[in-house]
Formats: sequence, structure tokens, C-alpha cells
Amino acid sequence: MIATVPSFTDYRLPVTGYKILQVLACCLLCLCAFSCPAAAYDKNELAEINDMYKNGKYQEALDGYLKMTDAESANPYAFYNAGNAYFRLGKPGFAVLYYAKAFKLLPRNPDIRSNLDYALKQTGQALVPDGVPKSLHYLYYFLSDLELKALAIFFFWLACLAGALRALAGTALKEKLKTAPYTMSAACLFFLFWIGIRYSSPFTHGAVAAAPAALLSGPGEKFKACATLPEARLVKILDEADEEFYEIGLPGEGIKGWVKKTDLQKI
Amino acid sequence: MKFRNSLKNVFKFIFCPTLATIHSPLCHYSLPLAAFILAASFMSAQSAFAYLSISAQTDRTELTITENLYLTVTVSANSGSAPEPTIPPMSSFNAYSSGRSQSISIVNGKITTSVSFTYILTPRFVGRQTIPAISVYNGREKAMTPEIEINVTKSAPVKPPAAQSRPQQPARQNAADGAARQTAAKADIPIFLKAETDRKTAYPGQQINLIVRFYTAIPLTSNPQYLPPAYKNLIFEDLPPVRNGEIAIKGIRYSYSEIKTALFGLSPGPASVSPASVIAQVQSDEQIDPFDPNFFQKFFSMNGAQGATKEFRTSNLTLNILPLPEGAPASFTGATGKYTISSELDRKQTRQGEAVNLSVTVSGNGSLKTITAPKLSNLTNFKVFDTLSSLSISKSNDIISGKKVFTTVIVPRSEGHIRIPPVKFSFFDPEAQAYREIETAPLELKVEKGDADAKNFNFTQPGAQAVSATGSDIRYVSDKASAPLYANAARALGGVAWQVHILPAAALLLCLWFSNIQAFRLRNPQLFRFKGARAAADKDINRAEAELKAGRLKEAVSVLYDSFMEYLSGKTGKKVSALTTRQAGELIMERFPHTDGYYLEEIRSFWEQLEMVHFSPSSLTAQNAKDLITTYTVLIEMLEKEFKKK
Repeated sequence: MIATVPSFTDYRLPVTGYKILQVLACCLLCLCAFSCPAAAYDKNELAEINDMYKNGKYQEALDGYLKMTDAESANPYAFYNAGNAYFRLGKPGFAVLYYAKAFKLLPRNPDIRSNLDYALKQTGQALVPDGVPKSLHYLYYFLSDLELKALAIFFFWLACLAGALRALAGTALKEKLKTAPYTMSAACLFFLFWIGIRYSSPFTHGAVAAAPAALLSGPGEKFKACATLPEARLVKILDEADEEFYEIGLPGEGIKGWVKKTDLQKI
Repeated sequence: MKFRNSLKNVFKFIFCPTLATIHSPLCHYSLPLAAFILAASFMSAQSAFAYLSISAQTDRTELTITENLYLTVTVSANSGSAPEPTIPPMSSFNAYSSGRSQSISIVNGKITTSVSFTYILTPRFVGRQTIPAISVYNGREKAMTPEIEINVTKSAPVKPPAAQSRPQQPARQNAADGAARQTAAKADIPIFLKAETDRKTAYPGQQINLIVRFYTAIPLTSNPQYLPPAYKNLIFEDLPPVRNGEIAIKGIRYSYSEIKTALFGLSPGPASVSPASVIAQVQSDEQIDPFDPNFFQKFFSMNGAQGATKEFRTSNLTLNILPLPEGAPASFTGATGKYTISSELDRKQTRQGEAVNLSVTVSGNGSLKTITAPKLSNLTNFKVFDTLSSLSISKSNDIISGKKVFTTVIVPRSEGHIRIPPVKFSFFDPEAQAYREIETAPLELKVEKGDADAKNFNFTQPGAQAVSATGSDIRYVSDKASAPLYANAARALGGVAWQVHILPAAALLLCLWFSNIQAFRLRNPQLFRFKGARAAADKDINRAEAELKAGRLKEAVSVLYDSFMEYLSGKTGKKVSALTTRQAGELIMERFPHTDGYYLEEIRSFWEQLEMVHFSPSSLTAQNAKDLITTYTVLIEMLEKEFKKK
């Protein structure tokens, strides 16, 4: 049996297809370039703010950290530091809120996890629910929501590119790319699935009670208060269509109700 | 496991803060408790063992007032060094350090040290005396011995002095006697204290013996109390036991007690010994003959006798510590004396990654305390851990001697027969006034290939305390100024408008469509030729017109000829140029049976015109060419309509 060696032309794409792929690849590159890191906050300024924190000037430090969060809304460390300042100022509700925001951005950071857990425990809650293995919880929150979304998008693009390449490729290249589109599609679906199961997380569409708040049985003041949310309580927002009230759920207690939007801070 | 831990906790709770069983009153409690403790200690393994323990024992519990008592205090610790015990002030005994011996063991990285300190105790009073509790403290834990009861009895009146309390007097005692005679001769002094050294100059680390003698020619109401001197630029070692004797000076018979101390100079320069003191109660009523051979026995037999307290002091002594001569070998670290060196491994054969103890022993006379570990060089095939030292000192014949063992844990990195090179040690021999360099014999270790676990050997000192949390707090602020790269990238990618992501999907669909078209074209080449024939013909007409405009008539006709052949071939699916006009006509009729015969005639006519001008271009004019193009255009138009007839 004589082995067939694919010739160069077997790998060649038709000119039109090649152009399409070029455009796609350029688009992906542009997306990647667009996603380059934002300018870092001034390190010296951060050192000054940290010095304030170190010297016990928590309010001044907090102001600085909040400026950082405004400047860089994807900086988990700024939220983490703000959470620390709130904690020192004796505001557990806001501390939990800012730790939770940091956790949403960088859930695998040990410092963020530790402080969020600590702050939650101070308010009778826990980061890792009872009966859930810590390692499983860590895996479940290994990637942030944004990272999951970005990975799903990335693999979607790769799957499309691989599919297009395979459609236009010669016989030999087509053989080589036999499984690539399916693998990429599977990866994309995996991350979409992960996003789906993360929907039940208290941090997805979550909120924190910045101060004790009344849980009403309907979206209005005239409805009976059926429970009181303690400060720093993590809740899940079920519906936010109403102008004044969030419909929220307390998964632990199996209670749902309405809380004034001003009483809750979205994570 | 929980049961085991709870037992361990109970055990620790019972013995907290120290686990030294020797001083625990619980030791004397009931048998069930002891059994429980034993069981718990076995279950809780090594962590339940004491970090520090101390025990004390005497060579006897009853002795006469003229005898000496040997007290051995043993300190054990789970670390590389054991602290020295604190001997409390003893009103009933005078205590002198007699020596020490140390043993150290390292097994599987766990270190155990045991040091035995020997003291000679001289009783001061007859009766039931108590050696108080001796304590040891390592900075974390304190352990204590129980008190020891000693019964001191009167000596027999005619009993000769015990041999051990009357040792052979060394030759240099004569010098001390001479000095005492001079002191006594100056005045008729019944009691005096004299101190002198056997040499006035010495090298650093060379032994100098200090002799302090207390002479008395009158009875004392209590055993004198000796207050040792302070030393400058010197370290010292007691040289017990206290020697007693008698001497006649200027016709007066003195009883004397002699205390010796070994001194070692630290650094070149002056050194000094401050005055030593003896506090004695002198009996005013002389009822006992001081010249009685049993003076001390009689004296100590009279309990409760009263007298005047007097303090006697020696004069200051000055010594000169000489600098060491030049030319010291590279391995010299300051040792002075006479030494030998040897080395050994605790095993001859081991496995790669397993710990082996290399012991280097320096033995001899000199200040062993100040000797530092010889350097181990060229142990490139080993991972070398810290060196631990153990010291054993003996003081026989008033010479400080002993051995110091330096134990180093080494872990072979590679397998095979590994040679451990000789270990060099240098010292200065003060008698020969020369440096000596000695070395150990080389050692060989057979190392076999180790397993993975052996490579993970950890050398830890088990004495180290475990860290226990005393509180908790949030972690400190972060000093990272910006979000991680991937977080920013994820945020940016996730923030792109969803419409953008249609692009790859659309491109994929386009490529798939294109691919299908290509595949269809490959599968139906005739169909595409048929459909494309008209478009190709139109292109060729344009080209022919261009050639005509350019004045290239022949080329314009050639283009038309080729185009016409291609068009007919495309429509019929066969190569027409190889056919005659008649055959071509038949082929067209076969392919398109509804074609009017007029058009076949037109085809034949046009074909012949083309062939005529194509093959005899001399008859070709611009007008002819233009007419041909027009005819071709019209003909194509008509044929397209005709071929669509069904």
C-alpha cells in the first residue's frame, strides 16, 4: 500500500475563503487588543492610602479606595481594600458588600475569600455552606462570572474559526481539523453550562443589606413585614422590575419578599 | 482518632505546663491514674513526651560530716542543647561542679539530648539535711527535681580521714605552702586565706590552676562559707573535691582546706582574679585543741556552738594572657591544648535521601567548651544540616579533659560509594609552643538508590513549639494597584456588544455556503459551464472590441473564434473545436432538440466567416471585424433564447 502524501495544494484554501478567515482572525485579534489591561492606578497613591489605613485613618483610606473602585471597576483589590476599611469602621454590611464585589471579580484570591468568609461569619453567615466540601466550593467559584463569559465567547469564536477553516480547507487540512470545531464548541458549551449553574449562586444577582431592612410581603409599604433582614445579610434578587422594590429570596430560610431598593446594595 | 486526641489533650492538661513526670505529684497517685497516663502517653506518641525533664540522684543518702557526696543532675531535652540546671543556694552543703557528660542522639531527624552534671557536695552540719529542688528552664518550660533528704552523721572519733577527701597533694602544693609560711611569718595570724595561681602567664585556652587555701589554727564554730572570686578575661571550671590537710608553719599547726579552680584565658591581654572570700565563725571559747588530729570532726560535732563571724579575703591576682604566635594553619579556630580527632558514621550503608549522622570527636586536654566545630569540606554529594555538639568533661588530676562530639546530619544526594574526606582540626600546643594540625581518617559510605519518600527527609527540631492561633482578624489590605491582566481581558471581552459576536457565526455560515457551492460545482462541472458560457462570451466580446479599438484586428477575430468555440462547447458539453460544422449542428440538435434550423444555419454561417478571416487574415478589415463582433453578439443573444426552449 502506498501512502498518500498530501500535496501543498491540498492545504490551500480558496482565495475567497482565505479572505474570510483573514477578516475573522483580524476581528479576534482586535477583540484581544481591545481587552488589554486598563491603566493601573497610581502605585504611589495606593501606598499613601495604605499608609492611612496602617495608621488607623480608616475613613480617609476608605475615600481613597472608593476613588480607586470608581476609576477601575474591574479591580478586585480596590474593592477588597474598601471592604477592609469598612470593616475597620464597624460597617459590616458595606464590608460584606465590597468583599463580595471583590469576590465576584476574583473569587480564587485567598485574601478575598478569607476576609469575605470572616466578615460573613461575623454576621452569622458563611462563605462555604454547611455540608459543602471546601474544595468543591473552591472549584465552583474558581472563575469569575466575567471570566466564564469571556471564555465562552472566546471558544465560540474559536469554534466558528475552526469550522470556517475546516469548511474551506483542502482534504488534508480538513482531516487535521476534523475534531477542532467540535472540541471548541464543547468548551464553549461547558462554560455556558458553568454560567448556567452559577446562576443559583448568591453572588449572581445578589445584594447585601447595608442596614437592617424590612422584608415585606408585597411591593409596597402597605404590605405586612414578614421578616427583618439583618445588616450584612446576603440576599438574591429575583426581580427588579418594580421601581421601588426588589423581589428577593433568602435561599437558606426559603423566604421571599420585597425590600426597598434603597435598603439593599447590589453586588 | 478523636479518642486519641482527647486522651492526648487530657494528658497535656494534666501535665501542663511541663510534662516532666519527675516532679509531678500525680506520680504518687493511684495506680489507675498511672495506668491511664501510661496508656495515653503511648497513644499520643512522641508529641506527648516532655520537651524538658530533669532528674537528680546522689551516690548515697547517708554520710559522715567528713565525707563528700556526689550529686548527679541529668537534664534531658528534645532539642540540640540542654540548659544547665540552676543549683540553688544550699545552707547545708558546699557545692562544686565536678564535670559533665553529654549524649546526643539523632534518629529520623528527631534530636534527644541528655546532659549529666556532676557536683560534689560537702556537708556543713550534722543531722538531717535537705538538698533543695534543682530547677532547669529552657525559656519555655521549667522542670524541677524533688528535694532529696540526706542524713549527715558525726564521724567516728578515731576513724582516719576518708581517702577521697584527702587526695594526693600535687607537687606544686609546696609552693602554696611556702607562700602561706611567708604570710604566717609576717604576723602570728591564727586564720588566713591565701590564693595563688600555678602560672602567671598563659596562652588563650591554656589551663591555669587557681589554688585558694584557708588556713586556721583555731577552732571554728561552723563550716566556713566560701565565696568564689570574680574573673576578668577568664573562664573557669571547678576542680573539686576540697582537699583538707595540716601543715606546720613557724611551729604553729594549721589545718587547711584547699579549693582549686581551672582558669582559661579568653583573649590576649591582662586578666585578673578578684579577691575570694571565706566567712567563718571563730569560736571564742577554745575548748577544742586545734592541734588535735580530729579537729574538724570535733568541731562539726558541736552543734549550736556560738562564735564571732569573720571574713577573710585573698588579694587580687593579675595574669598575663599571651598572644598566640603567627603561622596558624587555615583550619585553626582558636583551640589550645592537646587534642586528638576521630570521626565515624552511624552506619556504613544507607539509601539516597536518608539521613546519616557524621560524628567528629575532638578529645584531649584544654578548654573544650570553647572549641568550635571543625569545618566539613567537599561534601558536595550531601545535603548538610546543622551541627550539634555534645560535651563531656572530666577533671581528674586537676586537669580539664574530655571530649566534644560534633554530630552533623548529612543526607546523600547521589548513589554509589561516596567518600567523606578527612576532617582537619588545628590547635596550639602550649607546651611545644607550636601549632599542630590533625585530621580524621577518610570515611566511605555506600549509598543505594532511595525511594521517593526518603528524598523528602526533613530535619526538624522536635523541641520547636507548634504555633497556636490566639485570635483571628481580617487579612491586611492589598498593595496591588491594578486588576490582574486576565480580569481586565475578561471584562473587556465580556463587554463587547453581542452584535459583534454575530460576525464569526455569519462568517462560518458564509464559509459553509461557499464550501457547499464549491462541492456542487465539483460534482456538476457541466452545469456550471453551461450557465457560465454566456457570461464568458460577453466578456470575450468586450475583449474583442477592445482589440478592435486598438487596431489589432487579427487578435480581435481570434478572441471571437475562441470565444465562439468555448460557448458552443459550454452549451453542448463537448469540445466543439474538434468537430466539423455539420457535426456541431448535429450535436446541438441532439442537446437542444427544439432549436430552430435557422439558428443552426446562422451558426454554420458565422463559424465559416470566422474561420475564413481567422485563417486568411489578409482579407480582414476593421469593418469586417466590427461586423463579426456585432453578429456574434446578436447570435449569442438569439441562441440563449433558443436553447431555453423546452
